Amino acid sequence: MKPAPTLSSAFLKPAGDFLPAPLLELRQQRGAALADMPLPTRKTENWKYSSRYLKLSDELATSLPTTGKHGTALAAPGHHVVFRNGVMVPEASDFPDTNGVTIKRFADLTDDEARELAERLDNTLDANAVQLARLNSARFEDGLLIRLAPDAVLEHPLFIISETDAHVSGSAYPRIYVDAGRHSQATLVEEYIANGAEPVMVNAVSEFVLAEGAQITSVRLSAEGENVQHVGATGVRQAAHSRFDSHCVGFGGPMRRHDLQVRLEESGANCRLNGVVVTQGRQHYDNHTVIEHVAPHCDSEETYRNIAAGQSHAVFNGRIHIHQDAQKSNANMSNKNLLLSTGAEIDTKPELEIYADDVKCAHGATVGQLNEESIFYLVSRGIDRRNARTLLTMAFINELIEQIPVEAVRETAQARLNHFIDQTFEEA
Amino acid sequence: MLSIKNLHASVEGKEILKGINLEIKAGEVHAIMGPNGSGKSTLSQVLAGNEAFEVTDGEVLLNGENLLEQETEERAREGIFLAFQYPVEIPGVSNLQFLRTAVNAMRKHRGEEEMNAAEFMKLAKEVSKQVDLDPAFLKRGVNEGFSGGEKKRNEIMQALLLQPQLAILDETDSGLDIDALKVVSDGVNALRSDDRAILMVTHYQRLLNHIVPDHVHVLAGGRIIKSGGRELALELEERGYGWLGIKDADEATPAS
Ligand SMILES: Nc1ncnc2c1ncn2[C@@H]1O[C@H](COP(=O)(O)OP(=O)(O)O)[C@@H](O)[C@H]1O
Ligand SMILES: [Mg+2]
Repeated sequence: MKPAPTLSSAFLKPAGDFLPAPLLELRQQRGAALADMPLPTRKTENWKYSSRYLKLSDELATSLPTTGKHGTALAAPGHHVVFRNGVMVPEASDFPDTNGVTIKRFADLTDDEARELAERLDNTLDANAVQLARLNSARFEDGLLIRLAPDAVLEHPLFIISETDAHVSGSAYPRIYVDAGRHSQATLVEEYIANGAEPVMVNAVSEFVLAEGAQITSVRLSAEGENVQHVGATGVRQAAHSRFDSHCVGFGGPMRRHDLQVRLEESGANCRLNGVVVTQGRQHYDNHTVIEHVAPHCDSEETYRNIAAGQSHAVFNGRIHIHQDAQKSNANMSNKNLLLSTGAEIDTKPELEIYADDVKCAHGATVGQLNEESIFYLVSRGIDRRNARTLLTMAFINELIEQIPVEAVRETAQARLNHFIDQTFEEA
Repeated sequence: MLSIKNLHASVEGKEILKGINLEIKAGEVHAIMGPNGSGKSTLSQVLAGNEAFEVTDGEVLLNGENLLEQETEERAREGIFLAFQYPVEIPGVSNLQFLRTAVNAMRKHRGEEEMNAAEFMKLAKEVSKQVDLDPAFLKRGVNEGFSGGEKKRNEIMQALLLQPQLAILDETDSGLDIDALKVVSDGVNALRSDDRAILMVTHYQRLLNHIVPDHVHVLAGGRIIKSGGRELALELEERGYGWLGIKDADEATPAS
C-alpha cells in the first residue's frame, strides 16, 4: 500500500519576517503542528469530489514576491485596501477615517495588539474541517485587522482587493480578521483576482467575530485565472441578535475551494448565506458550508446555485448542525444546480444533524438542465436559441445577483457572467 | 397563405396526425374543433415547430415557402404565432424582458431599429390594458403564478405585440370566465385584418359566438372529417360529436 501523501516540508517555510513577534510565534506554532499533515485524498470525506484537482507541487511552496506593481482594482465608491501576494500595498490603499473604525495591517500592529490578535486568530474555524486553510496560519506575511467599536457604522463598503501576481510560481496567504463591536455595521467586499500565468496557489482566510447586534455584510468575489488554485476559508461567530449576510460569487478554476463556517452562538443571531458558482471547460469549484445552531432562537437562510458547463465539476456540501440547546431554530437551505452540458458534473450534499426537537428546518437540492419546453416557448416568439438559453441561464441566478447590495460588485459579477455565457454557448 | 397537404406527424413513434389537408387564405378565420385527444394541439405545435413531434409525411407552405424546413424562431419571424394551450412559466425572466426581447428579435428581422426600454415600456403598458392585465404583471416572471385566465390574456397580449401573419390559438378560450372570454375575443378580433389569418383551435363552440369564423373543420382521429361554415359549429354544439360517428372522450369521462 502506498503511504498516504503528506504536506511537503517545503510548504512550512514562511517568508515576511516583518510581522510583530507574537504573530511570528503563532505562525511557527501553527507550522509545527502541520508537519506531516496528511493531504486530502479521494478517501477524505470532505474532499472526496475535489482532491483530484489539488496539485500541491513544491514549486507552489515558495512565497510569491511582494515587490512590484499592483494591477487594477475595482473602481467603485468606498474605501480600498489592496493586498498583493498577501501583503498590503499602502500606496494603493485608503483607509476610512470613520469614528470608531480602526483598520490596521498586521505588520503595523504593536506587540500588545499582535499578542491579543494571536490569541484570537483561528478561533472561528473548525481546524479539522479546513485542513488546508490551516496552512494560512503558518504562512501569512501580513493581514488586515478591522475593528469596529460599539455602534460604529462604516457608511461605504470597504473593498479588500487581494491580487495575486503570478509572474512566477509560488503561493500567497491573504488574511483578514474582523472584530465587529456591539451594534456596529459594515459592508466588506473581498475580491480575489490574479495577474500573470504561472501556476500559483492562493490560500485565503477571513474571520468575522460579531458582538451583540452587530450587522456585517460580506461579499466575496473569487475570479482568478486558470493558473490559480484557490483554497479559502471564512469563519464567523455571532453573538446575540447579530446579523451576518454573505454573498459569495465564484468563477471556476483548476481547483477552487471555499469553506464557510458560521456559528450562531447566542439567541437571536441570524445569518443569510447566498452563493453563486459558475464553471466551464475543465474547471472546478467546491463550496463547503457549515452552520452551527448552538443557541436557541437563531435563524439561518442559505441559498446556493451552481451552473456547470463543458466538462466542469461543481460541488456543494451544506451542513446544518442544530445543537441540543438550540430550540426554536429556523434553518432553511436550498441548493439548485444547472447542468449546461452532458459532460458537466455537479455533486450536492445537504447534511442535517438535528439534536433539538422544536426546530423548523427545511432543505432542498435539485440538479437539472435547461427546460426544453421553456426554450421552445421563447424561440416560438422569434427569440434566437442562444438568447433563449442565456435568458434561462441567467434566470437561474438573477435573484441572487440582484441581492448583492454593492452595485460595483453586481456589475463586475454581471460582466464576468456575460463572458461566461459567451464562452459557454460558443462551445455548444 | 397557409397550405397544409397530407400532413402526418407522430410523437414517440405513435402517429397522431394522419393526413391533414387545409388551405387558409389571408383575412380568413378558421376554427378547428374536435374532441379531446383528436390531435388539435399536435397540429398547432407541429406548425410552430416543436421538435418533440416528428413530421413523417406531407408538406406545409407558408406564402409558398416550405415551413417545415424552418427552425421555430424563423417561423415566428416569418409570422407564425402560437398561443399555447398551456403557456410555460419561466421564473427569473421578467415578462417585460421576455416581451421586449421577442419584439426586438422581430424588429431586427424586419430591419427595423430595436426599441429601448422606455419606448417598449410605454407600448407594453398600452397593450396590457387592451387585454385587461395590470401592468404590474410586466415585472413578474413570465407566466409565473398567473391564473389560467391571466396566462391566456398574456398569450393574446403577445400576439398583439408581435402582430403575426398567422395566429394559431390553441384553446385560448378554455379556463376563462365570461368577462375574460370577452376580453380575449376582443383582443382576437382586434387582430383580424385582411392580410392576417387566424386559426382557432377549440373544443367548445362558445368562443365562436364572439369570434365568428369563416370556416369550421372537425378534427377527429388525426384527420379532418368534416368542413363547413359557421353553422357547423352550431350544429356541433347542439348535437355533440356523436352524430359524426366519433366519440368525445369528454362525454364518456369527466374532462381531465
Ligand atoms: N408529448 C406527447 N407524448 C405522448 N403522447 C402525446 C404527446 N402529446 C400528445 N400526445 C398524444 O397525442 C394525442 C393527441 O393529443 P393532442 O394533440 O394534445 O390532442 P387535443 O389537443 O386535440 O386534445 C393524444 O392521444 C395524446 O395523448
Ligand atoms: Mg389540446
